[in-house]
Amino acid sequence: MSSRFTTLEEVVRDARFPDVDLALRRGRHIDRDDGDRYAFVTDAQEHLEPLYRRYGCELVTQSQGYFYLLPTGDQLSRRHLTAGEMLVGQVLALLYLDPTTVASGGIVSRALVLDRLTGLVPERDLASALEPKRRRFDDERVVHEIIRKGVGQALRRLMRLGFIEPVDSDHVRLRAPLLRFAEPVRGLRDAGEALERLIARGEIAELVTGEGSEP
Amino acid sequence: MQNGPSSRDPHVLLSGLNRGRVSLELGTLDLCFLAALHLRAERDGLASFDEELVLDVFEQVCALVEPGVETMRKRATHTIQRLRTQRLLARVDATGIVAAGEYSLTALATVIVRSFLEDEELTRESLTLLTGAMLSSLGQARAAAERARGEEDWRAGVVAPLRVTVADLVSGIERRQRGLDQQQEELRKEIGQLLQTDWFGAVERCQALLDAMTGTLKELNEVLLRDSNQIQAVLLEIQQLAAAAGAAEAERAAQRVSEQVDRAAAWGASRQEAWSGFYQHVHRFVRDVVRLDPDRALSQRLQEQIRAWRARPFALIAASEHRIRLLRPSSARGVRPPVARPRAERERQVSVVAAGERGPDLEALVDDALRAGAKNLAGVTRRVVARVDDASSYRAIGRVAGIVGGLAGVRRSRERPWVAVTDAVEIEDWSMDPVEEPPGE
Repeated sequence: MSSRFTTLEEVVRDARFPDVDLALRRGRHIDRDDGDRYAFVTDAQEHLEPLYRRYGCELVTQSQGYFYLLPTGDQLSRRHLTAGEMLVGQVLALLYLDPTTVASGGIVSRALVLDRLTGLVPERDLASALEPKRRRFDDERVVHEIIRKGVGQALRRLMRLGFIEPVDSDHVRLRAPLLRFAEPVRGLRDAGEALERLIARGEIAELVTGEGSEP
Repeated sequence: MQNGPSSRDPHVLLSGLNRGRVSLELGTLDLCFLAALHLRAERDGLASFDEELVLDVFEQVCALVEPGVETMRKRATHTIQRLRTQRLLARVDATGIVAAGEYSLTALATVIVRSFLEDEELTRESLTLLTGAMLSSLGQARAAAERARGEEDWRAGVVAPLRVTVADLVSGIERRQRGLDQQQEELRKEIGQLLQTDWFGAVERCQALLDAMTGTLKELNEVLLRDSNQIQAVLLEIQQLAAAAGAAEAERAAQRVSEQVDRAAAWGASRQEAWSGFYQHVHRFVRDVVRLDPDRALSQRLQEQIRAWRARPFALIAASEHRIRLLRPSSARGVRPPVARPRAERERQVSVVAAGERGPDLEALVDDALRAGAKNLAGVTRRVVARVDDASSYRAIGRVAGIVGGLAGVRRSRERPWVAVTDAVEIEDWSMDPVEEPPGE
């Protein structure tokens, strides 16, 4: 691949490097909608990959047009998404694949996300996943409040990681990195096998119930 | 038409409309009927329609919209009556007397029909025609502005054309822009629908629709940008001429048209940008989703994954380096001096000040009172107070007890009585031993 950067020094000296570097280290997924940042990473990719490898992480690039850093060693801190973020993220990925969202340019309402999520996961199970330490879910109002708050929190964190983008207080724009949530089921092989492969590659971690590191 | 300030209270107007229970109810047949009459009038140059013509038009429209209606005449009569009640059709007579069977469309009906018929295609040709006509009208208005000598010249030659002709043309552009917006909205839905029903098979059709709309918008933007610059230049000249001549009304009219033209140009730019975003989104969707999953199995598998997630929960891993060591810039600074404050001489030299007037000699007065035979503190105090001025009496009363204690022996009883020494002051009284005369006095 031809690059307009001939040396790593040029990459580091570029005005965009600090912002992009910090974003990647903080777990941000950078895609085409990021404009200049994406262009920079694409141009500097051949220099950035060996740089980050020295820090014990891989600069992963996907065919759908996004980059992210995957820690493979111990030098760079890592986190895995919480149960709430995973459930909401998967539903957002489902909406990204839905052709009815094309008409709106990939913009969906929070209400639609909630609706789709509760349609796939029973409310009590969902509330239990969002608040694993709580034992009783008898009061329906409490369950709804837990779900509402948990989904809101998950959306905010997914925004910080670059999976979605806020449009206004009620709407979010879906972005290509959401397809990462569909990785285990992308291929034709068995989903369990695909999951094992991704765990072995360090891209996914199995969760013990109640686990999930807070950022 | 003069746009002056309205003196009609909106509340009064609205109350009137509410009292009259004003409403409009138009079905498809009604609208088509009115549109047909309008088009017939335009084609044949008719100002009104006789009853036969009205019924004939109604039959034709009914055959198109609701074929199979049996009682055509009855239906026509009811429809005509309903439209008259709603002030969309009027019975007229050229001589001013109501004549049976002559009808015309009211202004309300005309506006309604036009808004349906004329929100039509905004093409390069129609836009060029409109902007061309606007430039021509503005050219005439500018020439009139150059020739204008008085208020009447400005009003007739500049203000009226700006407010009527040019405003109409701008409204024409805006109407067509609304039509295009609606078209875009429908196109978005159509693309979404095509992908939903046909998925992979819809890709080529979607591409064609996207390209057609993109081409249209690009053309329109070019025309708008080019012509709006010329239009604004002419309007600016008119404004300058009006300002120089002190024709404020003409200046305002030109300013209003300029703002409308700006809005039209801004419309083009914003639509182009929004469409560009949508275009890219659809292309990415087609490339990243449709082409990679032609059988549309991925969505189904993802749904199953979500349902089964709780049985075997997993999570994506992401980098999370929040605290990055940022070294503080060092500075070459020596040892910090200890905190201290300037030393100052605390002890101040005492200076001798001459004593002022010290007031009455209370010791002497108390001594005199005791020698005069006062046996108790109250008696001494009364005698002393009588010999000092009022200003000093209160202070003197306070000191008398101390002086008495030093000059005479005080006998204490269990309960000392309180005795008034002046109108305002009482003291706790002491009984005292009599004072002995010193020997030799």
